[in-house]
Amino acid sequence: MAAVMKSEPVYTSWKDIYRDKWQWDEVYWGSHCVDCYPGCCPMRVYVRDGIVWREEQSGSFDTIEEGVPDFNPMGCQKGACWSQSLYGPDRLLYPLKRVGERGEGKWNRVTWDEALTDIAGSMLDAIQEYGPHTIIREGTPEYSTVMSTVKFMATIGAQGIDMNGSINDFSIGLYETFGKFSPVSSADDWFHSELILIWHMNPVFTRIPFYHFIAEARYNGAEVVNISPDINPSHTHADYQVAINGATDAAFGLAIVQVILEEKIADWDFMREQTDLGYLVRSDNGKYLRETDVTGEGREDQMYQWDPDSGLKKADRGDCRLHGLQIALQGTFEATLADGSKVEVRPALELLRDHINANYTPELQQAITGVHPDTIRMLARKVAAKRTNIMLGYNACKFYHGDLIERAMCLVLAVSGNWGKQGTGIRSWASGMHEGEEIVMAKQAPGAQAAEAIIAAREAQFEAYKAKDPTATTEIAIRDITRLDNPPVASIPAFFWRDHCGYGERWNTPGWGDDSLPRSFDDYMNEAMSKGWWKEPPKDPPQVLIECGGNMLRRTRGGKTALLNTLWPKLKKIVTIDFRISQTALYADYVLPAAQHYEKIGFSIPTPHVLNLNLSDQATQPAGEARDEWDIYLALLKKMQELGKERGLTTYESYEGDTYNLEEMVNKYTLNGYFQDEEGNFDNEKLKDEGIRDSVLCGVLPFGTTLETLREEGHVRFIDMGVSPMGSAQASPIEKDKTFVPFRNHTEQGHPFPTYARRAQFYIDHEWFLEANEQLPTYKPNPRAGGNYPLGMTSGHNRWSIHAMNQANEVILGTHRGEPNIMVNPDDASDRGVEDDGLVRVYNDVGEFIVRVKIAPNVKPGQVISYNGWAGFQYTGWSGANEAEPGMVKWIGFAGGYGHLNHMPNEWQPIPVSRWTRCEFEKVENA
Amino acid sequence: MGSKKRQLAMVFDLNKCIGCQTCSVACKMLWTRDEGTDYQWWCTVNTIPGRGSPRDWEQMGGGYKDGKLSMGKAPERSDFGGGWDFNYDEVFYGKSAEKVPLRVVGEQPDWGPNWDEDQGGGEYPNSYYYYLPRLCNHCTNPACVEACPSGAMYKRDQDGIVLRDESACQGTRKCAEACPYKKIYFNHQRGISQHCIMCLPRIEDGVAPACARQCPGRLVFVGYLDDESGPIHKLVSEWKVAVALHPEYGTKPNIFYVPPIGPKPINDDGSIDENRNRIPDELLEQQFGPDVHQALATLQAEMAKTKAGGQSDLMDILIVYEWKHLFSEFTVDPVDIEQEAN
Repeated sequence: MAAVMKSEPVYTSWKDIYRDKWQWDEVYWGSHCVDCYPGCCPMRVYVRDGIVWREEQSGSFDTIEEGVPDFNPMGCQKGACWSQSLYGPDRLLYPLKRVGERGEGKWNRVTWDEALTDIAGSMLDAIQEYGPHTIIREGTPEYSTVMSTVKFMATIGAQGIDMNGSINDFSIGLYETFGKFSPVSSADDWFHSELILIWHMNPVFTRIPFYHFIAEARYNGAEVVNISPDINPSHTHADYQVAINGATDAAFGLAIVQVILEEKIADWDFMREQTDLGYLVRSDNGKYLRETDVTGEGREDQMYQWDPDSGLKKADRGDCRLHGLQIALQGTFEATLADGSKVEVRPALELLRDHINANYTPELQQAITGVHPDTIRMLARKVAAKRTNIMLGYNACKFYHGDLIERAMCLVLAVSGNWGKQGTGIRSWASGMHEGEEIVMAKQAPGAQAAEAIIAAREAQFEAYKAKDPTATTEIAIRDITRLDNPPVASIPAFFWRDHCGYGERWNTPGWGDDSLPRSFDDYMNEAMSKGWWKEPPKDPPQVLIECGGNMLRRTRGGKTALLNTLWPKLKKIVTIDFRISQTALYADYVLPAAQHYEKIGFSIPTPHVLNLNLSDQATQPAGEARDEWDIYLALLKKMQELGKERGLTTYESYEGDTYNLEEMVNKYTLNGYFQDEEGNFDNEKLKDEGIRDSVLCGVLPFGTTLETLREEGHVRFIDMGVSPMGSAQASPIEKDKTFVPFRNHTEQGHPFPTYARRAQFYIDHEWFLEANEQLPTYKPNPRAGGNYPLGMTSGHNRWSIHAMNQANEVILGTHRGEPNIMVNPDDASDRGVEDDGLVRVYNDVGEFIVRVKIAPNVKPGQVISYNGWAGFQYTGWSGANEAEPGMVKWIGFAGGYGHLNHMPNEWQPIPVSRWTRCEFEKVENA
Repeated sequence: MGSKKRQLAMVFDLNKCIGCQTCSVACKMLWTRDEGTDYQWWCTVNTIPGRGSPRDWEQMGGGYKDGKLSMGKAPERSDFGGGWDFNYDEVFYGKSAEKVPLRVVGEQPDWGPNWDEDQGGGEYPNSYYYYLPRLCNHCTNPACVEACPSGAMYKRDQDGIVLRDESACQGTRKCAEACPYKKIYFNHQRGISQHCIMCLPRIEDGVAPACARQCPGRLVFVGYLDDESGPIHKLVSEWKVAVALHPEYGTKPNIFYVPPIGPKPINDDGSIDENRNRIPDELLEQQFGPDVHQALATLQAEMAKTKAGGQSDLMDILIVYEWKHLFSEFTVDPVDIEQEAN
């Protein structure tokens, strides 16, 4: 690109004021390395006099596929004023030590050495009294903090709490169906859709950089349907709004399936190959017909299909394809068991048909969902005829029966043949492609050779697994190895809340869970433990909490008050490492200032949505005494080593029985000094350089990619998904001139799904599912968690902030009312004598919060919308909406012993839910 | 350039606008962070129907009636609201022990640049709303220029940008009284009025204005009205799908809008009415004048073509396959501008 000479200005004094604002000294690549997902917005950061003056989207993406719009100019209003948080009033500049009570707001500025000495001392106390597992951190996907924190915790043998189990960004119903929850198309693939169902998502708020692909698809002939109880902002550019009753989506989805099957417009061959709907189920016990039934030996997870010519056919566990064989999808057959007895068997689709014909015809579902039968038929015919994409967010999974909702959604796609092709599918969340960073973390020494050794060992492990089970794909090998790798039990958040935060009582409250079950919550949990599906975690009280990138008191369902009363008194030291003051920082013992994203080198979270690794370079020096997290942890390790020596402590054991040596820790953390500069500080640039090189060696980044080339180009497109659990779960190749769509290996190569049944599994014959009548996708009413109150509180990510990250940004605060609110329908407001912008107290049996009201006719009567992410300190008493959320988990999350239904980090485990919590509000005069 | 009069114009495609405020924030970060401008948002995005920014601006008068300048009311600081300061230090370091939440310092605000965001109109389930970005219209008949008693305001021949010589402005606020769109702000620190300068320094460098180039919705077209090869001319003059806001104000605005097509409404029995748009036609006509009906009809006819699997030149323009095509000749990347040594 040739430089453009600044045109000769005609100088007049007043214009020069403006021209002077349009001046800078240096430009760097920047991005926002937080848990903004999909994020990955390449920005240019303009520096003037050493200060970041402003940022602007780079608009530097090339067209990928001819005839598909490009990604430019990815960004949003938060990113456009990110630099405000560098110098804003919530910026942390110096280490602070609490001098009053926790939360009292009394702080002293201390030196780094003072702070680290005290913190390291507390950590050694915890190690000596209980062990390093009592030093905990909360899981967070904030990309600029994850690697350093994980490495630090691993170096000392401390305990991280599972991220997705914590925040519930886990599409449980997708996992139950596909054995993985993370399919993600590239955002430009949305343009290929002919029908877009925005369903449990609000992309107008949450996908600002990509929303244009939906609007452009509509111009390209697609129809857009917004399915939500409230007429939310994503209805604005839809063709249809389905104003569904809250939490009834499973009935709606199943009615669409009912019409597609009854009108015989389904994609039968797709169902035969891709799903278990052609598997035979025994009529006598409702279980699959298994090889162990038929032969008395063999595999318990070997099921059968019915070949019209030859009868029983073993379902191929290694290949979905049938090569034209029309296995039966209907009919009643007889199978002979090993003992010679006969049993009636039917394809699972038959059972599904009985189930939905009896309960979910368009007419029957109307009483549940409020959706007119004509609308169901109209949509069903469109779904069957068009390339359909379900835009799913992390909303459905936050319903008690969210898994049932998501399973119904997957079924809609299954009967219509809508995955594994451009413009189709259902979306969730994935990252993990920048594997070089993981390699660097695992290395014992720097350099390519060490990386290649890890890569070779990894591949050997996959091959060994596949040799043992020749039907396994690499994807299955990766997932099973991850599951069988004995993941640490203390990392499961549900156990943490149960053992240390007093949640067990809530989970057993009648009416708050599923009252249709024959047994109590604890009954199921105890059974799960006694069967060894989960191991009892250590019960020692947590001693030290390190919050880096997380914000536990703001976001934990169940509320700040609950944690302050239960967990906080146990903790001897609470440390927040952040670049800004968060809700949790206000209740910490130490607050340590971290460098902001423009002050250190990093990447935004890589995702298949964008398929690029985006560099965020260091544009300026950290303000005040802020430091890169990598360097903070290095200093902390040095201090632990120093104090350990004073105490005569050299080695200690972890809960798992591994030995840790304090004297080796700095060397482990820095690869024997390789990641240290001349002054002994952590050299993050060197680490990033190493990670990029290792990603090239892994084959996920193009040959020739280096930190240097990234500094020129800003970003680089991945060439392969790699072998991380989430990357490989995409099960598709990346093509350089095509939009990306997951599951092509399943549809094109016949790769089996990583489920118990090795197909997209809609019939789950796990005992608990049978006992709960959830073997097939079904509708169950939402429990009345929170108590018997007339209103239901819903949520969703807000428009104005990445979680609470930008809430205190003065520019952003000017783009709304500057204060949290709930949105309610005019009738509900007037019934309670509340006017727009008036103050109310929202309450239930769990807790309460005080907030202003925004009255809008687009809110469904009976609904209270409290968008997620306001900072706690924006509310009266610093108590936000999570005060009224009970933090329920569905009992089914404890299920195990069934193929993919076994603990998997970031995936299978109990998860907290919060949507449609019952509540009431009343007018209050003063906050 | 010669002496030929040209007019720069913009088209905002409201079928792509999601009210994200990136345009507003981009503008604010670049131009209005100083004391006196802190409450100014030269570009705002409001939810329609709504009272907008400044509050009830459509009732404040101005513009031309029967070809004659008609003076209205100059909006007050309180009509705009915003520009708030917050009690950060008190919350974070004030030893308040949970007692003080983050709040605007001083009086509790009752209006701001985007106060009625997402409220909209209609009755559930037929509630409706859309987003409308607004900035100075750089009108062909700028009432502000005619009304200015000090001669500070002028319209440039070469691009039609309406500017104010801030050194000559005497702060009479006649411009704000005359402007029917009420997009002129008063700087109480400097005693002058101010408004959108269409990112003049960027335009001088061949860079599209910040609100356009930073719009992640890819909905802001920029170019000369008479450039027959450019999208502006095609949308405004050929396809006539981009129409002016309140053409009856008589100032001939040069910011145009592709009107929104909302989802279909729901009948009393819960079925869908396939024959209407839930945004009332009367509302759109009240906003964009009678030409909006033909614009909507053209849009819908062309959308039907692609829906049926066919091709449409209009849809191809609106899809914007290549982002830079939004900006006609204003495609310079700011990083390629050589900076003078300070």
